[in-house]
Amino acid sequence: MSASWGKLFFQLVLLLASCGHINTKTPSPTSPSLDPISPLPSDIRRVVLKGESHTEKVELLNPVDLALECIWSGNENKSPNITGYWRKDGEEMQSIRVTVQLENDKYTLRQVFKIVSKENLGSYSCSFGDEAKADFLLAGPQIGEVRDKPIVSYVGDSVVVKCKMDEKKPKPASWNWYKANGTDKEQIFYAAEPQKYEIKNHEWVTKLVVHKLTEGDSGFYYCEGVYAVSTTMGHVELKVITFLEPLKPFIAIIVEVIVLVAAILIYEKSQSKKNSAGGNETNADQTNTPTPGDNNGPEESSSTRQRKV
Amino acid sequence: MPPAAETKLGYTPPDGGWGWAVVLGAFISIGFSYAFPKSLTVYFKEIQAYFSVSYSEIAWVSSVMLATMYAAGQWHQTFDTIFRLNVLIAVINSNSFLCAGPVSSILVNRYGSRPVVMVGGLMVSSGMVLASFGTSIIHLYLCVGVIGGLGLAFNLQPSLAIVGTYFHVKRPLANGLAMTGSPVVLFTLAPLNQFLFDCFGWRGSFLILGAIVLNCCVAGALMRPVKKSVKPQPKTETPPAASEEDGARSSDFQIEENQTESRCQGCAHRFIDFSLFKHRGFLIYLIGNVVMFFGLFAPVVFLAPYARHQGIDEYSSAFLLSIFALVDMFVRPLTGLLGNTKWIRPRIQYFFSFAVFFNGVCHLLCPLAQGYVGLVLYTVVFGMAFGMLCALLFEVLMDLIGAQHFSSAVGLVTIIECGPVLLGPPISGALVDAFGDYKYMFYACGVILSACGIFFFVMHFYNYKKLDEERKQSLAAERRTSEEAVKLKMSPDDKAAYEAEG
Repeated sequence: MSASWGKLFFQLVLLLASCGHINTKTPSPTSPSLDPISPLPSDIRRVVLKGESHTEKVELLNPVDLALECIWSGNENKSPNITGYWRKDGEEMQSIRVTVQLENDKYTLRQVFKIVSKENLGSYSCSFGDEAKADFLLAGPQIGEVRDKPIVSYVGDSVVVKCKMDEKKPKPASWNWYKANGTDKEQIFYAAEPQKYEIKNHEWVTKLVVHKLTEGDSGFYYCEGVYAVSTTMGHVELKVITFLEPLKPFIAIIVEVIVLVAAILIYEKSQSKKNSAGGNETNADQTNTPTPGDNNGPEESSSTRQRKV
Repeated sequence: MPPAAETKLGYTPPDGGWGWAVVLGAFISIGFSYAFPKSLTVYFKEIQAYFSVSYSEIAWVSSVMLATMYAAGQWHQTFDTIFRLNVLIAVINSNSFLCAGPVSSILVNRYGSRPVVMVGGLMVSSGMVLASFGTSIIHLYLCVGVIGGLGLAFNLQPSLAIVGTYFHVKRPLANGLAMTGSPVVLFTLAPLNQFLFDCFGWRGSFLILGAIVLNCCVAGALMRPVKKSVKPQPKTETPPAASEEDGARSSDFQIEENQTESRCQGCAHRFIDFSLFKHRGFLIYLIGNVVMFFGLFAPVVFLAPYARHQGIDEYSSAFLLSIFALVDMFVRPLTGLLGNTKWIRPRIQYFFSFAVFFNGVCHLLCPLAQGYVGLVLYTVVFGMAFGMLCALLFEVLMDLIGAQHFSSAVGLVTIIECGPVLLGPPISGALVDAFGDYKYMFYACGVILSACGIFFFVMHFYNYKKLDEERKQSLAAERRTSEEAVKLKMSPDDKAAYEAEG
């Protein structure tokens, strides 16, 4: 046990000795003697491997000493030793390849990584030989609320594009907005065109107000929340249309209403003409009936009285 | 003594024929009146963001009712701004809507239903079209809230009135069918509004909705004034029980109105009829309704927020409202059908009391509902209860008052109900705030509605007894006078023959 740790330490020293400076691209395991600045908060993520592989998402906002631990229960032939190694973004971190001992019927691989900048984020994988693997995806938090359907607005009008971070997570330090320009993203600077763009940030919400819309303003807009070590990106689509678009169904429905109203009134007129033509004959009939009716007046009165509303 | 052959209405309602087309028109009108304001909630989030309206900014734009609301209730954080905006626009809308009741009564009495409905449709339509060009939130409130609200009021009240003129025997069924418009239109408009919003944004949607709502004019066109030619009535068609009881109920009123009858055969009063306040049935209806409305709409408004409070996601909570509308849709015509049966029609006031009581019990049991399944069950039962109540709401008023005075009665009722309808949800909201729990609100509504149900039951029991007594008295009085008339007419020979027979 101590031999493997000794080996590790030896490798560390060699590594540090050979490199003149710490290459920021390759994360190095923590070494308290190298970094005398105030200790970072620490965090641990543990994965128990069941089956072939596993992926774990880790959200990071601030600098942290992140310990990643993988536990594997092994396969049929439980060999006493197995090689455990780490990969970042697919590339193996040679310096921290270790031999893991079988302990309590499990193999445990643990490594602490210092996350201080954006480059430290990415995909970290622990592997036991060629058998089991787990991935840790270190990234910024997911953007909370963003409209997935396009926002529709009109030429000459203004529109508010909103991005909201989940309130359970900390607020971003700042927000940036980008407009898609082909495949690139071009940052929108508030100061550059104050009549056109307005950025309002308030705690978890950022709003981009675009004035005097033109059809060229259609497209994707990206909101980026900036944290200490990570950023989070959301995107919203804006569609700018002219007033002619809703006008077409509007006119169609108005026409339908006019047609129906005209039809109903014409039908009614024709009905009443028919009635007035036949009405003269029925009137003649009716004059005969009241006379016999009068004698039945008293009895009929009670039943007529009943026909009240 | 005027010939007793004159009916109170002065004509025989067709009870069919073009009446069904009128029911269709009423269906559309009533549907838009009730469902249109509710369905606009889809746009509120966007509109609120667009105008960057914060709650304090719009707070001053309020009627006296709203001022009371703000003073009385502490708006808790559980109610997000969108919900408050909901309530605000709905309140302004209903304010115009209910307060315009008397105005539309007067207009209907004077001009008939058709022109009023068509004007109403034009008003809502122009309100929406103007709103689509809106540049400030106040502009929106004026166009949608005030003009739209007035227009919808001009749709609701005449539709109800005209159904009463076309139907007598099948009137509960006709009313039930007409009132079904509300859930059906709501069910259709809600997803349609979502679709329009996704395609055209809120401005374009308001424009198109302005056109859609113009279909109220089509509904108005269908509302042909009923032909009031006096025909010899067919003898055995009417179930005697229904017509007898019905006649008796309005008999006391008819005795009062006999003077005006002879002067003004078959035509309704030209202005609001304040003598309604002397009508026993009307008073029962009014008092019961005023109390009832405090607790009636609050559970509908708070159904989705309550579900979300229980931890259910937004879509499932919204789905509860769809279930509610679906159940409501089927229960209303069924209730109308039931109300038409010979067992229930004569005592339809009891049926209504039962419906109110059922609502109350439903809410009292609501807090027992656990989880989503429990809530769905509650929604279904609530939908049934609410549908029953709404289907009968105006039918019982017609039953008490009669179609002639219905117009004025509805006008009076709506303006007096203004208060509880507007104050109900905010007071319930205050209850929820105060206790931090929805169940006390449900208990309160349940108690109010159950108490009203019992009140109606007891009062109508008394009312039916009095009406029966009065009818017997009036029939006895009539027989005496008609016998005298017959004796005077008969010649001495006939008199002898008659006496020999009898």
